[in-house]
Amino acid sequence: MAAVKPTKSMSKKSNVTIGLTGNPNTGKSTLFNALTGARQHVGNWPGKTVEKKEGEFTYQKNNIKVVDLPGSYSLTAYTEEEIITSEFILEEKPDVVVQIVDAQNLERNLFLTLQLIELGAPLVLAVNMVDLAKKDGISIDFKQLSKLLNAPVIPIGAKKKEGLDHLMKVILRQAKSPQVSKVKLKYGTEVDDELNKIKEWLLESDPKIIKTELDWSALKLLEGDLRIEQKMTQKPYYSELKLLVEKSLAHLEGVFSRNIHTILARTRYGFIKGLSQEITASCKSSRTNISDRMDCLLTNKFLGIPTFLLVVWLMFQATFKLSGPLMGWIEGFFGMIGDKVITLLGNLGASEWFISLIVDGIIGGVGGVLVFIPIIGILFLLMAILEDSGYMARVAYVMDKLMHRIGLHGKASIPLILGFGCNVPGIMATRTLETKQDRLLAILINPFMSCGARLPVYALFTGAFFSAYQGWIIFSLYLLGILVAIVAGLVFKKLFSKKLSSPFVIELPPYRWPALRGVFIHAFEKVWIFIKKAGTIILAFSVVIWLLASLPAGVEYGAQESYAGQIGETIAPVFEPLGFGNWESGVALMFGFVAKEVVVSTYGTLYGIGDIESGEGTLSLSEALQNDFTPLSAYALMVFVLLYVPCMAALAVIKRETNSWKWPLFTAVYMTGIAWLMAFIVYQGGLLLGFN
Amino acid sequence: MPRERLSQFSKGEKVKILGVHCGKDFSRRLSDLGLFDGAKVEIIKNDHFGPVIIKILNSKLALGRGEANKIYVEKI
Repeated sequence: MAAVKPTKSMSKKSNVTIGLTGNPNTGKSTLFNALTGARQHVGNWPGKTVEKKEGEFTYQKNNIKVVDLPGSYSLTAYTEEEIITSEFILEEKPDVVVQIVDAQNLERNLFLTLQLIELGAPLVLAVNMVDLAKKDGISIDFKQLSKLLNAPVIPIGAKKKEGLDHLMKVILRQAKSPQVSKVKLKYGTEVDDELNKIKEWLLESDPKIIKTELDWSALKLLEGDLRIEQKMTQKPYYSELKLLVEKSLAHLEGVFSRNIHTILARTRYGFIKGLSQEITASCKSSRTNISDRMDCLLTNKFLGIPTFLLVVWLMFQATFKLSGPLMGWIEGFFGMIGDKVITLLGNLGASEWFISLIVDGIIGGVGGVLVFIPIIGILFLLMAILEDSGYMARVAYVMDKLMHRIGLHGKASIPLILGFGCNVPGIMATRTLETKQDRLLAILINPFMSCGARLPVYALFTGAFFSAYQGWIIFSLYLLGILVAIVAGLVFKKLFSKKLSSPFVIELPPYRWPALRGVFIHAFEKVWIFIKKAGTIILAFSVVIWLLASLPAGVEYGAQESYAGQIGETIAPVFEPLGFGNWESGVALMFGFVAKEVVVSTYGTLYGIGDIESGEGTLSLSEALQNDFTPLSAYALMVFVLLYVPCMAALAVIKRETNSWKWPLFTAVYMTGIAWLMAFIVYQGGLLLGFN
Repeated sequence: MPRERLSQFSKGEKVKILGVHCGKDFSRRLSDLGLFDGAKVEIIKNDHFGPVIIKILNSKLALGRGEANKIYVEKI
């Protein structure tokens, strides 16, 4: 779409605000990316731990802001996350609300549409995946749909950016002269009578009530919506109102002998059914469904789990095979920079300590970590492809039985897989679990999933000691993390005396090709976070460690007499039985608590990889490590790094999600204990078996 | 007459839901997804352990075995 140009300044006040909503798996983020490109801002919804994404762009001289709302099936809020959409629409009053609708699954999607209409949102429907629906033999009469819903309906192809120009024109028209749909759902005399009773009561008791929201408020009171409850508890008349609503509910549930949700859902789906018969024509396509055939293998009762393991194994193999050459280039680049800087600073007459700070401290530390950009980028790229393809829901299905053993259900396996990327989003993703106990258990075992930040440590040590079997060694570490998580889960299940896992339902969306643009944007975001981390926290600690390694004045850099050496010497005895009692490891592991990459940057700084005499890049770091480690002690160290205290960021998110200091502290202690024990078993056991 | 449960049916069979006897919150979630009494459902996969995959409207849902046990249905 050539007409969309990036804004020069993000801070410029936008004159049109769009709220983007829709069911999960409808291509909502694809449309968001197609409209806003990479000009996105990620933050949090005020007062909530739910991610808020915004993007801005200019269309026909209008500054347009798009707010991505959480994907949901319904507007009735039962959880904090579900409050956001209705709250945003009612309180921030966006100029237009765009609902993206999956043409392949029209009826389910229109359920949300009806609620948006009831809410009085200035709605535009963007119907996505029309081409896929056509292949399934479904054709949709958009004009008729628009007429029946009394709202604009635009067919689009978000992935190929088709119809976006048309969509934008309609959005602008809707923004300039907002039209609210006049469709009003009839729930039948019984329900409507009760709704009217509540409305009249509200009008009488609260002169300040907003009239346009009256219908919606009455309906949501009847449904027991969390947001309206929260608002009403502050009113003086709350207890009286509550009595009235309860009376209505008792009356209705008596008449229909069903609960209120069933009564309302039946009416809504009934309306949708009638509507969909008028606007869709389907002829059975002879095409066998590819999704069904893929499901035959991927959800197979015997092959489902092995296939999943194979997918994970392939993902890590690909990450290493593809990133190898790229890492070589970056390594060479930093080696070259190091040389150039030494010559340059030497010519400028800089003092020796300053050259050492730049070369040993900063280039050695930060450069040693930035080398791993390709690994991070490719890992997140592949994970995003996996997430977008629809496979994750199948993993939840095949893992359900196993997850029950540790007292969780299949959906809990998704946060665990996300943990392979980074434990922070993994822990945050446990929010999709229904009960507090489920969440706590899933949070406590998440840090055992080996995250991307630990990968540089494995890459460094396997490169130095196991270059022939790099993939297998790393795979074994991931498996060990999973096994420990399972055992820990079993123990927690006993400790919490947890009996049943909470109920489990998940939609299995059709398999779809991932939108490459979105996948790249996602991977780029992660790489950027990694670079920022290297430029801030890792840079700062590289300087701290350089200082510790250079002081007190007069000691040789990185010598045992330096402060770093003394600190390391104090800690080292703890690690002696694990095979890595050298002081450098003591320092590296201690500071690794800040971020696991710091383990690598610390070795880089302490062994001074920028030294001219010893060559350049990780090659010399590998050689230095080979002097202090054996393959067995290197493996024990990797086991320790895998399992010990999670990084600061992960502990902070555990604190935030559990809302107590107890659990992050507990996690830090119990994980470090397990790490020590496992590394001890590996090293001492290995020695007994004759390895070295 | 013995009541039949969703979890007892096999691949390809179509059933009509008579009653959903799950917890209150979970029943709400299911009714949002179109799963309430009177709705028609096709069984896509049932291994007689682990979750049951059903087709409702035009999408597939995986439903925990424990929950599928609490949904009463009749064959159509």
